[in-house]
Amino acid sequence: MDSNQKTAWWAIARSEEVGGKKPINADIGDQPIVLWRDNEGIVRALEDRCPHRRAPLSLGCVRDNGWIQCGYHGWIYEGETGRLKEIPNMKDKQKFPPLYRAIRFGVHESGGFVYVNLDAEAAPPAPSTNTTYALSGTVAVALSHQDWLDALFDDPNLVLAIRGIGFTPYLMTELHEEQGRLVMERSCQWRLLHWPAPFSPEFPVTMLTATDPITGHTDVTLRDADFNELLRVALAPVPAARGVTQIRWRAEIGENRPGWMAKLLGMKDSFAVRPSVDGAALRVLKPSASRHGEELRANMLNKDAVAAA
Amino acid sequence: MLDVPHRPTESDHEPDHSSAPIAPSIMNGSVNSWVPHDIVMKDTWFPLAHGFAVGKKPVRRAIYSHPYYLWRENGVAVASEFHPNERRTGEKSPYTNAAGHYPVMERYGYVWGWFGRPEAADPAHLPSLPFLPPNGNLPKYLLGTVRFDCSAPLSLENLIDLTHADFLHANVVGDEKSESEDVEVFTTSETITMVRTCKGKSVAPVMKFFSGIKTPVQDIRQVIHIYLRSHCAIAYGRFEPGDDVPLFHPCVPETRDRTRLDYTMNTSNAGFMFRHIMPRASYVVSRQDSSMTSPQSPRYMREEKRRDLHSPFDSAGQKYRSLMLDLAKRQAVGDFDYRDNVSDDCSDLIGLRKELFRY
Ligand code: FES
Ligand SMILES: [Fe+2]
Repeated sequence: MDSNQKTAWWAIARSEEVGGKKPINADIGDQPIVLWRDNEGIVRALEDRCPHRRAPLSLGCVRDNGWIQCGYHGWIYEGETGRLKEIPNMKDKQKFPPLYRAIRFGVHESGGFVYVNLDAEAAPPAPSTNTTYALSGTVAVALSHQDWLDALFDDPNLVLAIRGIGFTPYLMTELHEEQGRLVMERSCQWRLLHWPAPFSPEFPVTMLTATDPITGHTDVTLRDADFNELLRVALAPVPAARGVTQIRWRAEIGENRPGWMAKLLGMKDSFAVRPSVDGAALRVLKPSASRHGEELRANMLNKDAVAAA
Repeated sequence: MLDVPHRPTESDHEPDHSSAPIAPSIMNGSVNSWVPHDIVMKDTWFPLAHGFAVGKKPVRRAIYSHPYYLWRENGVAVASEFHPNERRTGEKSPYTNAAGHYPVMERYGYVWGWFGRPEAADPAHLPSLPFLPPNGNLPKYLLGTVRFDCSAPLSLENLIDLTHADFLHANVVGDEKSESEDVEVFTTSETITMVRTCKGKSVAPVMKFFSGIKTPVQDIRQVIHIYLRSHCAIAYGRFEPGDDVPLFHPCVPETRDRTRLDYTMNTSNAGFMFRHIMPRASYVVSRQDSSMTSPQSPRYMREEKRRDLHSPFDSAGQKYRSLMLDLAKRQAVGDFDYRDNVSDDCSDLIGLRKELFRY
C-alpha cells in the first residue's frame, strides 16, 4: 500500500455484516481489524489482536453494554478509545493505566458501507450522497488490488457479470479525470444474436464508471441509448491479507427498463462480482485503459501533493 | 529399571553448539516480548510415541524437524535418524551415534528419545510421572493423540494459565464462579509448578453428567507441573466430591510451530462412565485451545516492539516465560547442565493421592 492508501477510508464491511452480538474480522492489507456495533448502534473498529496474549478479539463477543470481550481470558475493551475496562474475577483495582488499550481505528458509516481509516484521528470523509442500494455482496478475489482494478478497466468481463450484458472493447469515452475521479464509458451489447462487436454500427447499452484514484471505489451506471439507467452499482475493492482483494458491492436495478433483455435484469442475481479470475485470459489481456489509469492517477495524486504543500 | 540400551559411550563427533548463531530474541528476550518460536531445548528426553505404537515396522516422529524413526529389534526400541530403507545422501547429525541412532529409553508407556549431545543422555533426566505405571500397560482408552497448530511453549503457556478455562472451556469445566481461590507457584531451574485451590466452584459439566455429582459446587485442587526442557507437563485435578484426574500432557515440538501431544489420562480409578469419557474430553478441549493458540502462534514468531500486557492472574505464565528464557539463554552459550533434578519422585509436590496410584 502506498502512503495515500495508508490514510484512506476503506469500505471493509457492508452495514448488515456488522452486528451487536458477534464481532467480525476484516483487514486492510496486513492489518487485521475487528468490527462490531456497540449498544448505541455505532460501529467500532480495533486492531484484531488482544494486547494481553495477542489472540484475535474477533473470536470474542460483544457485551450487553457494547464493550468487546476477548474470548481467551475475557479481558473487556471499550470501542471508542480501545481502553481496557475490566479483567474478569479481578475484584479490587479495575483501573488500568492508559497503556492498557487496544489500537483503535477511525470508523464512518454511509451508503450501507462501513469505512475504516487506519489513522484514528483522520477527518471523516466528505459526506457522500450515496443512497443505500438494497442488493449487496462480498467477494474475495485472489488478485492484488491494482491488478483487479486494471482488469476492470481493460476488460470487465473478467471481473464482473451482469445478466445479458457483454462488455465490448470499445469505449465511448476513454479514461479521464472528472472531479477527482477516473471516469470512462464503455459500450456494451446484449448477449443475443448480433453482429460481433467489431462490425456493430451501434451499441444498445453503455457502462459508465467513476473510480476513486486512491481506493478504487467505483460507481457504475449501466444505461441504454435513451439514457434510462438500468443498473447502479457501488464497488468497493479493498486490499486484504496475502494480496487478496475483497470487494464489497451494493447495487440497485433501475425503474424504467424498456426492452425484454433489460426487463430480465429485474431477476434475482443479475449482478455479480466474479469470485475468481480466468488466469489464462488475464495473462494475455492487452493493457489499454489501465495504462491511462496509471498516468492519470500519478498526475492527480501529484497535483494534490503540490496543492497541499 | 533405568537403563538406556542405545546410549553411546562417546559421541563420534562433538556437536558444535557454540558456533550456531544465537537468536537475538533469546539473548535480549524479555518476558513480555518473548519469541517462543526461537526456543530450541537440547539435552532432554522427549516422549516420542506411546509404547504400543512402536512395532517392527518403523514409525516416523520429529523433534524440531529432526527425523526420529522408531521400531523394535527383539522387542527393544530403536530410535534412528534414518529409515532402514532410506538411501542416505547427507551427513548424519551430531545428535546420533555412528550408527545414526539416538539415545532411547522406554518408560511410563512411552518411547523416549534424547535430543542433544548423545553423551549427555542419562535416565536421571527423565521426568518423574508417579501416577503412571513405569512399565506402561494402561488400557488404550486412557491414551490418545492430539495436535496443536502452534509452538510447544505456547501450548504449555495455555496449560499453565488456568483463567482461560473459564471462558474457553466453560462447557467442560464450568464457569468462573467460586467462593475462594488461591494460586501458588513453585519453581526450580527445570520445572514450574502451579497449585490452584478453589472452594465452592460450580461443578464441571462433565462431572455432573458422567460422575453423577449431585451437589451444586465442589472443591478443586488443580496442579500443573511442567518439565521445561522436555516440554512435558502433568495436569492433576482433584475434585471433592468427584474424582482424581491425572493427565500426562507432553507438548512435543515436532517443528517450531506445531506440537504433538501423546497423552495419558489415568482415570483408571474413577467410575466406569467417567473413566471412559473423560480421556476423550481432550478432543473437545484441545480444539478449543487450538482456536486461540493457532492464531497466536504466527504472532510469536518474530520479535515485536510491542510488549504483552499482563495481570496478576498471569503470574504463573510470566514465570514460565522467564524460566524458559533463562534456560534458553544458558543453552545458547553452551551451558547444558541440569542444576535441578527432574527424575526424583514428584508425588508430594503435586499432592498425589498415592493410595490410588500404587505401582
Ligand atoms: S488474549 Fe485476550 S484476554 Fe488474554
Ligand atoms: Fe486450555
